[in-house]
Amino acid sequence: MMKKVMNAPQAYVDEMLSGLCGAHPEYYRQFGLQNRVIGRPNAPIEGKVGIVTGGGSGHLPVFTGYVGEGLLDACAIGNVFASPTVDQIAEAIRVANGGKGVLLLYGNYGGDVMNFEMAAEMLELEDILTQTVVVADDVASAPPEDSQKRRGVAGMVLGFKTAGAKAAQGARLAEVAAVAQKTLDATRTMGVALTPCTVPEAGNPTFEIGDDEMEIGMGIHGEPGVRRGPLTTAADITREILEGILGDQPLANGDKVCAMINSLGATPPEELYIVYGHVASKLKDLGVEIAVPLVGRYATSMEMAGLSISICKLDDEIQSLLEASCDCAFWKV
Amino acid sequence: MANKLTVNSLRWAIQQIAPQMEVSAEELNALDGQLGDGDLGVTVVNGSKAILGKIALLPDDLGGSFLKCAQTLMTEGGSSFGTLLATGMMSIAKTCKGNLSVSWAEISVLMGGAIEAMARRGRSNLGDKTVLDALEAIRAALEGEQDPRVMTELADRAAAEALDRFRYLPAKQGRARIFSEKSVGLDDPGQLVIKRITEALREAK
Repeated sequence: MMKKVMNAPQAYVDEMLSGLCGAHPEYYRQFGLQNRVIGRPNAPIEGKVGIVTGGGSGHLPVFTGYVGEGLLDACAIGNVFASPTVDQIAEAIRVANGGKGVLLLYGNYGGDVMNFEMAAEMLELEDILTQTVVVADDVASAPPEDSQKRRGVAGMVLGFKTAGAKAAQGARLAEVAAVAQKTLDATRTMGVALTPCTVPEAGNPTFEIGDDEMEIGMGIHGEPGVRRGPLTTAADITREILEGILGDQPLANGDKVCAMINSLGATPPEELYIVYGHVASKLKDLGVEIAVPLVGRYATSMEMAGLSISICKLDDEIQSLLEASCDCAFWKV
Repeated sequence: MANKLTVNSLRWAIQQIAPQMEVSAEELNALDGQLGDGDLGVTVVNGSKAILGKIALLPDDLGGSFLKCAQTLMTEGGSSFGTLLATGMMSIAKTCKGNLSVSWAEISVLMGGAIEAMARRGRSNLGDKTVLDALEAIRAALEGEQDPRVMTELADRAAAEALDRFRYLPAKQGRARIFSEKSVGLDDPGQLVIKRITEALREAK
């Protein structure tokens, strides 16, 4: 049975957005005929490269939450786990356009990719310059030789952060896009799911899983992972996920990384910190320093229990952009 | 039937397709729900209804008309299926721009361009068990044909053959790809939409 604090399922997203913008008018404002574009209240910021993302609802703080200073300029938001329309994406791009071009930075999901491409094609007619970086950080979703097919998950937040900081420094569109791409090329993510979540309009859980089971590598919409088995310890889960990540992108003695331990929704900070301890000790054994630790809810799947680990290999530029100031309702640096 | 395809032919087709989508909605939702989120019926009803609501506004320029249809679909929903069809219509719109009519034989050529654009946007190939396979079967069947009455018959037969040919093959694209093995024995929902459309046109001609 679905247990959610809500009114009509069809109103879920619109009521959520109006509450979000009502609570944080200093960060978020609704744009567009359907109010499905969330932008900074002072958008567009003239003379700055705009950054736009978009995707389905149900992942807060992704996507909408990261609209803010030193982060995103606008976001087109669809129904729960459903792509925004081409129209909404086009509107978000217009809202973000301060005359220096707009970076489109979004996760690798079929519907989102198609709709963003279509929107960009339409905006060529309006002389708005766009560049695209697609996030594909989930190592469990395709083998290395098919890495362009991977899905975009929590690692995208690091891309939002570095691209946002670069744009805030006054960089050109090509430079902002290059830094986002570099960050994401250096980032790998893998997760574990313990329980499913329920899309309000569907009413049923996105997948079924036994009370004593977990699925390593499961996608944030319930896409099948790499292995299902009995729930093991935090130490074993961490070991298995890190093996997946480091097998794909090895780290060497002396490397510095950003390590993000992200709750998929229901898993509490307590358990994230248990995992963080194991990640830190494993990396220390390898001689790797966690220069930027991030622990919390960064990219969720509503009430799904589980977590993901993202590792981003740092260079000086990525590190300084991750450490640069930013401000939104969910993240301040 | 007119000698050529004009905006009036387009209006006629939309008037046949929209009510058929209402009739088929439940069947399409159920089929889509086997492997996907089960909203394809809703998607095609909303899309076709929205276009039906615009037929009085379609300009005589065929390019403008197809563009209007594509834009309407893009406002209506975020589904990949809608965007794919809109992509096909945009391709046709670009080719027809400035023409008040095209010959019936031209339909096959326009479809070829649309299929190519849709494959690019969807990053899929013919043979992946998608709507493209149904459209390609129809395109091939209509090649060189001049008589619209015969063409609706041929199109419907080709759509049926595409369903039959792909039913027992695994899907290689979209959400169904993730459940590839389970897709064996199930019709592709997008191909079924095309079959219901060709049926509506054949019966009404």
